[in-house]
Amino acid sequence: MNVRKARRRKSPSGVEAVTALVGRAFVVLFALTVLLPFLWVIYTSFKSGHEITSSPWGIPATLRWENFSNAWQKASIGQYFLNSFLVTVATLAILIPIGAMAAYVLARYPFRGSQILYGTFLSGMMFPIFLTIVPLFFLMNDLGLMDTLTGLVAVYVAFSLPFTVFVLTGFFQTLPDDLAEAAMIDGCGDARVFWKVMLPLARPGLVVVGIFNAIGLWNEYSLALVLIPSEENRTLPLGIANLVMVQHYQSDWGALFAGLVIVMIPVMVLYWLFRDKIHETMLAGAIKG
Amino acid sequence: MKRRGRTLFVASFLAPAVAVYGLFVCWPVLQAFQFSMFRWKGISENKTFVGLENFQRLVEDKFFWQALEHNLWIVGVGGSITMALALAISHALQDQSRFTRFLRGTYLFPHIVSMVVVAILWMFVYNPSIGLLTQSIQKMGFSDFNVTWLADPKTALPAVSAAFVWYAIGFYVMLFAAGLKAISKDVEEAAELDGARGLRKFWRVTWPLLWSVKRVAVIHFIISALNIFALVFLMTDGGPDRKTEVMLTYLYEQAFENSQYGYSTALAVANFAIVMALSAFVMFVFRKDPTGARA
Repeated sequence: MNVRKARRRKSPSGVEAVTALVGRAFVVLFALTVLLPFLWVIYTSFKSGHEITSSPWGIPATLRWENFSNAWQKASIGQYFLNSFLVTVATLAILIPIGAMAAYVLARYPFRGSQILYGTFLSGMMFPIFLTIVPLFFLMNDLGLMDTLTGLVAVYVAFSLPFTVFVLTGFFQTLPDDLAEAAMIDGCGDARVFWKVMLPLARPGLVVVGIFNAIGLWNEYSLALVLIPSEENRTLPLGIANLVMVQHYQSDWGALFAGLVIVMIPVMVLYWLFRDKIHETMLAGAIKG
Repeated sequence: MKRRGRTLFVASFLAPAVAVYGLFVCWPVLQAFQFSMFRWKGISENKTFVGLENFQRLVEDKFFWQALEHNLWIVGVGGSITMALALAISHALQDQSRFTRFLRGTYLFPHIVSMVVVAILWMFVYNPSIGLLTQSIQKMGFSDFNVTWLADPKTALPAVSAAFVWYAIGFYVMLFAAGLKAISKDVEEAAELDGARGLRKFWRVTWPLLWSVKRVAVIHFIISALNIFALVFLMTDGGPDRKTEVMLTYLYEQAFENSQYGYSTALAVANFAIVMALSAFVMFVFRKDPTGARA
C-alpha cells in the first residue's frame, strides 16, 4: 500500500512522458503493419481484375460480389471448402473423444509405465512433420489411404494427439476427486463416471482444445501437400496455393483474393472470439514444448 | 474381480489413441531412422542397405550446406530482429487497458491464418508489377525504382525472412508479455524506489528476470526457423538459383521430385538432429538462471 502511494506521488519526468509516447506510436504502427495487409486483401477481393493491376492500393469502384461466386464455383473453392470442412470436423469428432479418454486415464489412473506412455505422447510435439513424411507417404500407399480424405483425417488425428493429450491431461488433473468418488459410491463404474461426470466437467477444456485444433487443421498445408495429389480431394490451403500458380496465366485476380478471404475469415473470427483462451493454450504449449 | 475390471477399463480407454498415434506417428518416426540407411528409389526390390552412406553424401552435398546456412541466417538475423521488436512492443504494452488488449490481440493474426495466406500476401507485397512495396516506393517519387524482390539473388533471402518475421513476431510479443506480467510489481516498485528507472531499470531488473522466457523464446524460434517450409516453398520454391533454399524445401525436392527416398530421409534425420543439438546448446547457454528462480 505504501509503495503504491509512493509511486503515485512521483510525477513522471518529461523524458519518461516522451518515451511513453514514442512507445505508444511504435506499438500502434506495428499493429497497422499487421492489420493493413489483411484489410487490403479484404477490400481487394471486391475489385475487378483490371482495378487490381492498374491501381493495387485503390478502393474498389463498385463492390464486385461476383468475385466470390467465381471463386466458389469456377475456381472450385466451394469444393475445397467442403473438403476442408469435412476433414476438420471428422478429425475433431475422432480426436476429442479418444484424446480425452487417454488423457483421463493418464491423469487419474497411474499404473506402471503410465509416465513413459505420457512422455511418448508428449514427444510427438517435438517431432517435426518432415521427419516422418517419407515413411508416412509409403505407409499411406500400403494402406490404400493415399489421396483419400479418410487417410488425411487419420494422420491429422495422430499428429494432433500429443498436444490434445497434453492439454487435457493437465485439465483432468485439476478436477476435484470428490465428485468422481461420490459417483463411484453410488455404484457407477469407471467408464460411466468418465462419460457422465468427468467429461461434462471438462467441457471448457474440450472447447479450447477443439478450437485450437480446428484452427491448425483448417490451415494445415505440408501433410496435405504430400498426401493429397488429386484435384478433387484438395483442402482449402492446397486449393488456394494452386490457384496462385494458375492465376499467373489466367489472371482472375479478383477470384483469388475472394478465395483468400474465404480461407482466412473463419479462423480470424474464431480466434477473435476465443483469443484469451487461445493465448493461454499457446503459452502452455510453448513452455512445455 | 474389481481389479481386473479396472485394468480392462484403463486398457480400453488408452487403446484407440495409442493405436492411431503408434501407427501414424511412432512407426513412421522409427522407420525414418531405418530408411535413412538405405538407397531406395521407391521400388521395393531395389532397396539396398548402405549404412551411413546417405549421411556421408549429405556432408559432401554443397546444396545441403547452403540450405542449412540459409536456415541459420534466418535464425540469426530474423531471430534477433524478432526478439528485439517483440521485447520492445511487449514492454510498451504493459498496461491492461482495452486498447492495449485489442492491440495485443491483433499481433497474433499472422500466426493464426494459414501459412499459405501469409506466403500469398507477401508475394503480393513483393510483386514487381502490382506489388505494394514497389508501387509505394515509386509513388514516393522514386519512379525508376524497380527491384524484383523475390527474383533478385541479393534480396530474395532477406525478403522471405521479413515475411517470416512478420508472421512470427506476435507469438513472441505474447510470450514476453506473459513474462513481464509475471515479474512481481513489488520487485519493480522496489527498484524504482531505489532510483532505478527507464533503461537502467530495464537492463538491471527486468531483463535478468525474463530469463526463462528468453530461453523458451529462443528455442522456439530456432525450431520454427529450422522447420520453415510452406513459406519458402510457395514464395520462391528455393529460388532464384537456390538462394532461398532451406533444408525442408531441399528435402521435398529430393523426396517428391527426384524420388531419392533414402537420401531425403537422411536429410530429415539430419534436420531433426540439428534442431535438437541447437536446442540443447541454447539450454546449456541459459543453464544458470542468475536470479536463482526456478524456470
